[in-house]
Amino acid sequence: MTTASPHTTAPDKELTRLLHELSAPGLAFSDQVLAALDEQEAFPADAIRELDAFGLPRYYVPAEHGGALDDFGTIVRLLRAVSRVDLTVAAAHGKTYLGAVSTWIAGEPGQAARLARHIREGAVVSCALTERHHGSDLLAGEVTAQPVAEGNGGWRLTGEKWLINNVTRADQVTVLARTDPAGGPRGFSLFLVDKSRLAPGALNHLPKVPTYGIRGADISGIVFRDAVLPADALIGEPGQGVEIILKALHVTRTGCVGMSLGAGDRALELAARFMTQASSQGRRPAELPCVRREMGEAVAALLLAESLGMVAARSVHALTGEMSVVSAVAKAHVPAQVDGLIARLLQLLGPYGLLDADPHRRFAKLERDHRIIGIFDGSSFVNRNALIEQFPRLARSYRKGRWDEEGLAEATDPRAPLRPFRPQELRLISGTGASVVASLPAAVAQVHDLAGSSASHRLVDLAERLRGATDRLHEAMAAVRFSPRAVPGHAFELAERFELCFAAASALHLWLRGPAVTDEARLRGCLVKALTDLDEPVDEADREDLDALADALLSAPPGTVPSLLDSWEGTTR
Amino acid sequence: MPESGIETPTADSLRSWLIDCVATHLERPADTIDTSLPLSEYGLDSLYVLAVAAELEDHLDISLDPTVMWDTPTIDALSEALVQELARSA
Repeated sequence: MTTASPHTTAPDKELTRLLHELSAPGLAFSDQVLAALDEQEAFPADAIRELDAFGLPRYYVPAEHGGALDDFGTIVRLLRAVSRVDLTVAAAHGKTYLGAVSTWIAGEPGQAARLARHIREGAVVSCALTERHHGSDLLAGEVTAQPVAEGNGGWRLTGEKWLINNVTRADQVTVLARTDPAGGPRGFSLFLVDKSRLAPGALNHLPKVPTYGIRGADISGIVFRDAVLPADALIGEPGQGVEIILKALHVTRTGCVGMSLGAGDRALELAARFMTQASSQGRRPAELPCVRREMGEAVAALLLAESLGMVAARSVHALTGEMSVVSAVAKAHVPAQVDGLIARLLQLLGPYGLLDADPHRRFAKLERDHRIIGIFDGSSFVNRNALIEQFPRLARSYRKGRWDEEGLAEATDPRAPLRPFRPQELRLISGTGASVVASLPAAVAQVHDLAGSSASHRLVDLAERLRGATDRLHEAMAAVRFSPRAVPGHAFELAERFELCFAAASALHLWLRGPAVTDEARLRGCLVKALTDLDEPVDEADREDLDALADALLSAPPGTVPSLLDSWEGTTR
Repeated sequence: MPESGIETPTADSLRSWLIDCVATHLERPADTIDTSLPLSEYGLDSLYVLAVAAELEDHLDISLDPTVMWDTPTIDALSEALVQELARSA
């Protein structure tokens, strides 16, 4: 939520302007209309139509297939803009990217071109992985596809997929199905199912499932009954399904960050609006020191999450081979950080977060809607498990100080030209560990060199403490040993700490590569927040940095929230 | 030069390194590991074996596609595949 600058015609700015216009009373994005739909558990079809009219689907299609997607950060910012207004709409619209990404990664050129055309024409694409009895355990899937002997080949698809976003509305569905009865990691394949090409009776939709949040979303199921698919429905080679989908999730998990950041923007904005209104005693809650401190911590939490989100989105291009780590960190940390932020603000608002001061129950709806972000596309548990599997490699790379300098420089400098995303460079485990974290000691040394000139002694001290905590963490990570399927509980705590170190390191790298005007106070706020969450000692002087962030929020123009992006506006290289 | 100090790993030396590696993960004696059985039979699931691929990369100082563990799921097959991979990257 930054002001438009003459240098940018960024699509997310355009979209934000449009959404603002469409939030006038009675229009598709107004609080009243969206709250009423939520109450009726009705799909926000008008809002979705507006996003189609804006041309949002073209950003789901890579430039090489005729779309507008050449920077993954654009998707993150667009989803953030929509999520700032309504998460149900964002989840319903953004799902098409998740549905399509496997084809972008592994599809034949002709197949990708066809899908690209459909999406630009407004087709809805869904992605059906989970089943009623197997949750996140993809290798337990029972939906099967068998080769058809007669005719020109093809596949016969049978079984049920359940709890799938948009599966009833979808025109096309990417389906993971067992193609080897024995299963295993090479026992599944992916298919792009075009519903319009199926014989009558080959599929059945299951009723919408009532949900805690995003109540209007089409969360439903689909049953295939001997559905005959043409040979060209197969994505990639038979047996590659699990590999392709795991790589696709490295990308989409990173995209989910945009939804959480948008929800965080909204939470801060709503809270700030309330806190700056005079109460019945004539006093503004924002004048209370405890309120100011809490608001400051919430701003720091969002800036920290935003730092991680910016670096993660750029890493899709610049550190592609490390996305098994980066995406797991981003998807585990950002939704959890924003859930925490919303919960703390809700405490602060007290009953007003839920009741009369919020006539459309915006805050309560936001809290409900955001809960799902930490669950879909792989829960925090799944993502932390993926990190723990990579602890030995991460600890080793950190100890040896090994990282990809070129990729790191590109990932952490928003002004650097971004190389095209090359899906073939995605790897199921990172070959280099995590460059963002392995280079932290070097970044801290750089801050030392700036001491007294562009870095304050306070910043040097905070950076030094972050480095100490990160050193100790990696020693603990290196000591974790476990046999298969017996991940010790404390390893999950270490994974959470690793996420915090990654986020704080992201903020530090961004600052070091930033334009000279970049505000050091925001970086200090991020580091204080990270150290606090890492249970490192944080004293009163440190926490005063949070108050400065609160002031930035509370004095911001209505409808805006401090963002790291502010510092980068209009600074192109 | 590989960190292991092995000059040119052979299928045999790789096999015995893999046996030790797998035995350590499973916390069981090396002589109870059958090199002709898929590692999944021992409970090394599809994601866990990817971590073994990372150890192999560090041991041999080469870059591997971790899915080699899925395509050659037994220690015997993996040793042969690695010898070929080393010959290619030499």
